Amino acid sequence: MKEPVKKPWIWIIMGLLVLFNAPWYFPEGTIEPLIFGLPYWVVVSTVLSLLLCAYLYWLCRNQWHIIEDEEEAENEREGD
Amino acid sequence: MEELRFAGLDAVIILSAYAVLMIVIGWLAGRGKKVGKSVSSYYLAGRDLGIITLFFTLFATQYSGNTVVGYAPQAYREGFSWLQSVPFFTLIIGIYLLFAPRLYAIAKKKKFVTPTDWISYRFNSKRVTILAILLMLWGLANYLLEQLVAIGHAVSGLTGGTIPYEIAVIGFIIVMLTYEWLGGMKAVAITDAVQGSLLFVGVILLLAGAFALTGGGLTDLTENIAAVDPERIGVPDLTTNINWISMILLTGFGAAVYPHAVQRIYSSRSERTLKRSLARMAWMPPFTAGFVLIIGIIGIQLYPGLSVPESEQLVGILANDVANLNTFFYWAMIILFGAIVGAIVSTADSVLLSFSSMISNDVYGKYINKSAPDERKVKVGKFVGVILVALLLWVAWNPPGTLFQIFVLKFEILVQVAPAFILGLYWKRLSSTAVFWGMLVGATIAGVMTLIGHETAFGIHGGVYGLAVNFMICVAGSLMVPTSQDYKRKVEKMTTIDAQQ
Repeated sequence: MKEPVKKPWIWIIMGLLVLFNAPWYFPEGTIEPLIFGLPYWVVVSTVLSLLLCAYLYWLCRNQWHIIEDEEEAENEREGD
Repeated sequence: MEELRFAGLDAVIILSAYAVLMIVIGWLAGRGKKVGKSVSSYYLAGRDLGIITLFFTLFATQYSGNTVVGYAPQAYREGFSWLQSVPFFTLIIGIYLLFAPRLYAIAKKKKFVTPTDWISYRFNSKRVTILAILLMLWGLANYLLEQLVAIGHAVSGLTGGTIPYEIAVIGFIIVMLTYEWLGGMKAVAITDAVQGSLLFVGVILLLAGAFALTGGGLTDLTENIAAVDPERIGVPDLTTNINWISMILLTGFGAAVYPHAVQRIYSSRSERTLKRSLARMAWMPPFTAGFVLIIGIIGIQLYPGLSVPESEQLVGILANDVANLNTFFYWAMIILFGAIVGAIVSTADSVLLSFSSMISNDVYGKYINKSAPDERKVKVGKFVGVILVALLLWVAWNPPGTLFQIFVLKFEILVQVAPAFILGLYWKRLSSTAVFWGMLVGATIAGVMTLIGHETAFGIHGGVYGLAVNFMICVAGSLMVPTSQDYKRKVEKMTTIDAQQ
C-alpha cells in the first residue's frame, strides 16, 4: 500500500519546491542575464514550477496505491 | 469587457447555439436515468465518473473565466511576479495528496455525499458540523455571486451590449438550472468537458493573436519592457516574494477543500481514475495560467500606461485588436468569448450543485427531516438553490456596501475547514472541541482582517494567518484535552482503510 502522507520525503521535496519558487534569494530588481529572451530569475522560477508539475504527476501515478487492486479485482468480477 | 464591440449578432448566434447545446447535453445525460430519485445519482453522477470526464470537470471547476479575464490584467499590473499563478494552481494537487487518497477510500465505503458527511462522521458533533456547513455554504454563495456577475459582464461585453447585463445573467441562469436539473452532476460533468476544452482552445488562440500583434519574440518583448517599465520584470521585492508563497499556500489549501472539489473525489469511478485525472491536472497550470501570464505581459508592451480600471479591460481590448487582424482571428475571438462565458458557467454550475447538495443532505436531511426520501431531499436542494440564486441576484444588482465587503471573503473562510480534513483523517487525538474553536477563530481572524481592509499583513493573507492559528488551536487544544483509549480506538476504526468495517 502506498499512501503519500506517510512518506516525509515527499513533503520535504514539495516544501522546497514551493519555498524556492519565489525568487527571494536573488538580488532585488535584477533582470540580466537574459536566458531564452527572459530574465534569468523568470527562467529559474519557471523551471521550478515545471518541476513541481512533473513531481506531482509522478507522485499521483507512482506513490498512491491504496485500494486500487481491490477495486480492479471487483471490476473484473463484475465484468465476468 | 463592456467596451468590446466587435461581435454583435455573431456572438448572439454563437451564445444561443452554445446554450441550446448545453441543454441538449443535460437532457441526454439525465435521459431515462431517474437522476432526481437518489442523492448519489443526482449529486455524484452515481460515483461513476471516468478519467476523461473527471479530468475535465476538475479542470473546468478549478479554472473559471476569471482565470483569463482577471489574471491577464493582474499579470499586466504585476509583471513577471504573477508567475506565482502557475504554482498556486499546481500545489492544489499536492494538497489533494495530503488527504484525497484516504478520504476517497473512506467515502466510498461510507457512501459520503457531501464534505460535511465526513465532518459529522469523524467528529460526531453538532456544533462542528453546523459551523463547517456555514463556512462552506458561505464560501460557495460568495463564489457563485462572483460567477453570476462575471457572466453578466462577459455576455454584455461580448455582444457589445446587444444582450444587456441583466438579461444575460437571467438567461444563463435559466440555461444552467435547466441542464443541471435534467442531468444533475452527470450533466454538469459532461458540459464541463465541453466548456473546459473550449477554454483551453480559446486561451491558445488569444495567445497566438497577441503574438501576431506584437510581431516579435520573447527577447524583443523583454527588452521593450525593460526599457519602459523595468520594475515589472526585475526580481520582486521581499514583500512580494512573501506574498507569492502565501498565495501558493492559500490557494493550494483553499481550492483543494472546496466542497465541489471534494465532491469530485467522491464522484470518481475508482482510485485509478481519480489519481490519473489528478496526475493530468498537475500539468494544466503552465498551459492555462502560464499562457495567460504571457498574454498579460504582452499587454505591457502593446498598451503601456493603462490605469487600474483600464487594465481590467485588457482582454477585451486585446481581443478587439486580434479580431481586427483577419477573418480567422475574428471568429477565433468569438470562440474565445464563448469559451470565457462557458468557463464561468461551468464553475457556477458546480458550485450551485454543491450548494444544493449540502442543503439537501446536510441541512434538510440531517437536521430538518431525517426520514425524508432521497427524491424529496433533491427537490428541496433544487428549490433552495433557486432561492439562493434569486438572493444573489438581488445582491449583485443592489450591492449594499458592507454586505458586498463581507462577500469578498471566499478562500479565507473556506480554507478554515482544511484541518478538519487533513488532521482529522490521520490524527486520532484530534478533538471536536479543538476543531470547532480552530475553525471559528481562524475564520474570525480572516474575516476581521478583510473587513478592516487588511487582506494581507507583511505580504501574508489573513486566511493564511487564520489557518495557521486554526492548526495550532487544533493541535494544542487536542493535546490539552485528555483523550480516552476508547475514543482513540473508535477514531482508529473510523479512519482506517485496512480493516473490514
